[in-house]
Amino acid sequence: MKVDKTLVASVALHVLVIGWGLLTFSSKAYEVMPEESVPVDVISADQLAKVTAGMKSGKKENPKPLAEKIAEAKPVDDAVGKVTEKAPVVTDTSPPPQPKPVEKPLDKKPDPPKPVAEQKPKEEPKPVEKKPEPSVDPIAEALKKEEKKPLPPKQEAKAAPPPPAKPKERTFDQSKIAALLDKRDPTRQAVTGEALNSNAALGLAKGKATDNSATWGALFQSQVERCWKKPYGGIEVQNPEAAFAIRLKRDGTLEAMPVPEGTPATPYLRVYQESALRAIIECQPYNLPAAYFEEWKYFSPVFTERKT
Amino acid sequence: MTLRLSRRQIISGMASAAVLTGSPVRNAFGQKRVPITEGDVAPLPIAIPNFVAGTPGDAEVGVGVAQVITNNLKRSGLFAPIDQAAYIEKITNIDAAPQFQSWKAINAQALVSGRMTRQSDGRLKAEFRLWDVATGQQLTGQQYFTSPEYWRRIAHIISDQIYERLTGEKGYFDSRVVFVDETGPTERRIKRLALMDQDGFNVRYLTRGTDLVLTPRFSPSTQEITYMEFGQGDPRVYLLNIETGQREIVGNFPGMSFSPRFSPDGQRVIMSLQQGGNSNLFVMDLRSKNTMRLTDTPAIDTSPSYAPDGARLCFESDRGGKPQIYVMPATGGPAQRISFGDGSYSTPVWSPRGDYIAFTKQGSGQFSIGIMKPDGSGERILTSGFHNEGPTFAPNGRVLMFFRDPGGNSGPSLFTVDISGRNEQRVPTPGFASDPAWSPLLS
Repeated sequence: MKVDKTLVASVALHVLVIGWGLLTFSSKAYEVMPEESVPVDVISADQLAKVTAGMKSGKKENPKPLAEKIAEAKPVDDAVGKVTEKAPVVTDTSPPPQPKPVEKPLDKKPDPPKPVAEQKPKEEPKPVEKKPEPSVDPIAEALKKEEKKPLPPKQEAKAAPPPPAKPKERTFDQSKIAALLDKRDPTRQAVTGEALNSNAALGLAKGKATDNSATWGALFQSQVERCWKKPYGGIEVQNPEAAFAIRLKRDGTLEAMPVPEGTPATPYLRVYQESALRAIIECQPYNLPAAYFEEWKYFSPVFTERKT
Repeated sequence: MTLRLSRRQIISGMASAAVLTGSPVRNAFGQKRVPITEGDVAPLPIAIPNFVAGTPGDAEVGVGVAQVITNNLKRSGLFAPIDQAAYIEKITNIDAAPQFQSWKAINAQALVSGRMTRQSDGRLKAEFRLWDVATGQQLTGQQYFTSPEYWRRIAHIISDQIYERLTGEKGYFDSRVVFVDETGPTERRIKRLALMDQDGFNVRYLTRGTDLVLTPRFSPSTQEITYMEFGQGDPRVYLLNIETGQREIVGNFPGMSFSPRFSPDGQRVIMSLQQGGNSNLFVMDLRSKNTMRLTDTPAIDTSPSYAPDGARLCFESDRGGKPQIYVMPATGGPAQRISFGDGSYSTPVWSPRGDYIAFTKQGSGQFSIGIMKPDGSGERILTSGFHNEGPTFAPNGRVLMFFRDPGGNSGPSLFTVDISGRNEQRVPTPGFASDPAWSPLLS
C-alpha cells in the first residue's frame, strides 16, 4: 500500500506540535508561584470605639478597657528579624478576626505595666485615633536576637503570613529587653485594648474608655445610635435617608429642635425620619470633645441605611 | 519625648485621616454631615392606658378598648406595649397634653390616650389621640360613633390608625378570617365554615356541618364567601352571603368544580372544573353567568389566584410532572412556570400588595410555607414542619395566616407569621381549624 508522504509528514508534525503544546503549556500553567497574601483588616472609627468602650460597672482603679481576646501578633518573626534602630517597628495594627489565637503571650502579664519601659500606659486620652496593637514582645525578642538593619516598613508589610510566635518568648528577660529598647526612640504609644484585661474598666462618664480617641463624628454616631429604634422596613431593600441640621450647646444639649432636611415622600420615610428625630432628642446631652466645639456646634447627622 | 512615626503608623494615621475626612464627617454645604447607620430594628415601646370613661358607665368599655389595641399591636411584633403597672401618670383628660416627662421616664416612645362616651342617643363615641413622647407632638387623632356592641370593631380601627401612623404601612386589624372549624374524632370530623375577627374573637358558624366544606374564600366586598362543598353528588362551588345566609351553586357544570376564588373586582369567580382525569381553569362572570375556559391541558390545573390588578393569575399545575406554580395572563394564554426548587409547590396565593406569591411547598417529608416574587425569584421559606398548608395574606400583605397540623390524634390550628419569617403566633380558635382565608379590610 502506498502511503502519501505528505500525509505522514502532516500527521507527524501535528502530533509533534500538539504534543509539545500539551506538555509545555500544561506544565507552564501549573508553575504559577502562589502569591503570598498580606493580611489586612480595616476597622472603622466607631468599631474601634466599641472595642474600647468602658463599662459603667467597672472599677475605678482599672483604667483599661475590657479586652478578653486580642488578635495574635502578626508578621512578627520575619519582619522583626530585620529591625534596627533607625526605623522603629510596630507590628501589624489590625487584629485579624481569628477565633483562636495560637498563643496568648499577653495573658500572663499583669495588666497595667507594659513589658517595655517607655511604654507606660498613658492616662490621658490621645487625640489621635489608634488601633489596638498586639504586643511588642515578639519584636523585642527578635531584637534581642539580632540587630540587623531593618527593612523599610513597606517590606515589612509584605512579610509572609505570620508563623505563630515561638513559645520560648515566654521565658525572655523583660528588663534586658527594656534596656535594649531604651536606646531607641519611642515607637508606639499605649493604646487601650491592646492588652488582655478581664476586668471591666470604668472608662469615662459616657462609658468610653480612657484612650478612646475616635473623632467627634464617630462619638456622636455611637451615642445617638444607642437611642435609635429604626422602624421595620419590611424585607424589601429600601434606602431611606433622613438628614437633620442640629445645633448643640457646649454642654452637649440641643439648642433648638433639629430641623429635618426635606419633606419625606412616603409614609415609611416619614416614620423613618421621626424615629431618627426621637433618637436625637432622647440621647442628649452628647458628650463630645470640647476642643472641636466649633465643628460640632452646628452639623448634619444623616440617618441612612446606605453603607458607603 | 520625641515622636517618630513608623511608616505603619503613618499609614494608619493617613487611614484615620481618610476616615475623618471621608465618610463619617464630610464637608458638604458648609455643614459637617455625620452618617448614622447602626440603629436597632426594635419593637416600638408604646403606652396604651385605659380609655377615659366619658360617663361613669363607660369605664368597662374603656378598659376593653385599650386591651384590644394592646393585644393587636403586641401580636404584630412591631410594638412593645408597656405594662400599665409601670405608668406614672394617670390620664384623666385627653383634651390636655399629657405630662411627657412621666412617659419618657418609663421609656415610652408613643402614647395613646382615648375616651369612650355614651351619647344621649345611645351611640358610643370613641376618641383617641396618638402622641410622640419625645417631641410632644400629636401624631394623629380621630373620633368615631358606633353602636355600643361594635366597640371591638372600633378598637380594631383605632389599632389600624396607630399601626399605620407609626409604621408607614396600612394596618390589618379591622378584618375577619373565614376558616373551616373542625370538631369530633379524627375519622368522623365535623367541618363547619366559621367566621371570626382576625384576633380570634366573635366566632360565628356559617354552615351546620352536615356536609364537608373546603377552601372558603372572601369576596372583595367581604360580604360573600365562595367555597367548595361535598353535597349530594359531585363537590360543587358555592356562593354564600354571610349577612343573609343565602347560598347558591356557582354554575351548573357536569363534573366536579373546586378551588374557587374571587376576581379582585368581585364580579367573577375563577375555579377548576374536572374533565375526566384532568382539570382546567375556568372563570365565570357572576352576573351574566358567562363561562370562559382559561387552560386546556392534559393535566391538573388548580388553585388559581389573581394578582391584585387582575391582569395575571397564578395557579398550580402538574403539567410538568410534579405540581408547580405557573403564572399566566388573566385572559388566558401561555403560562410560565415560576417555581423551580426541589419538591412540589401548591396553593399559590397572590399578595394583595402584588409583590409576593405565597405557597405551600412539599419536599423531603416536610410541608413548608414560603413566598416568592411573581417572577419566581427571591424564594424564602417562612416555616417548615410535619404539616403546614394553605397560606392567606393579611390585607396589608405583611402577615400570612396558615394552618398547621402536628399529626397524630391532634388536629390543625391557625398560625400567623410575618413575611420575614419572624413573629410566629398561634391564632386562638374554639376547636381545631384549617383552611383560613383573610378578608380585606372591612372599612
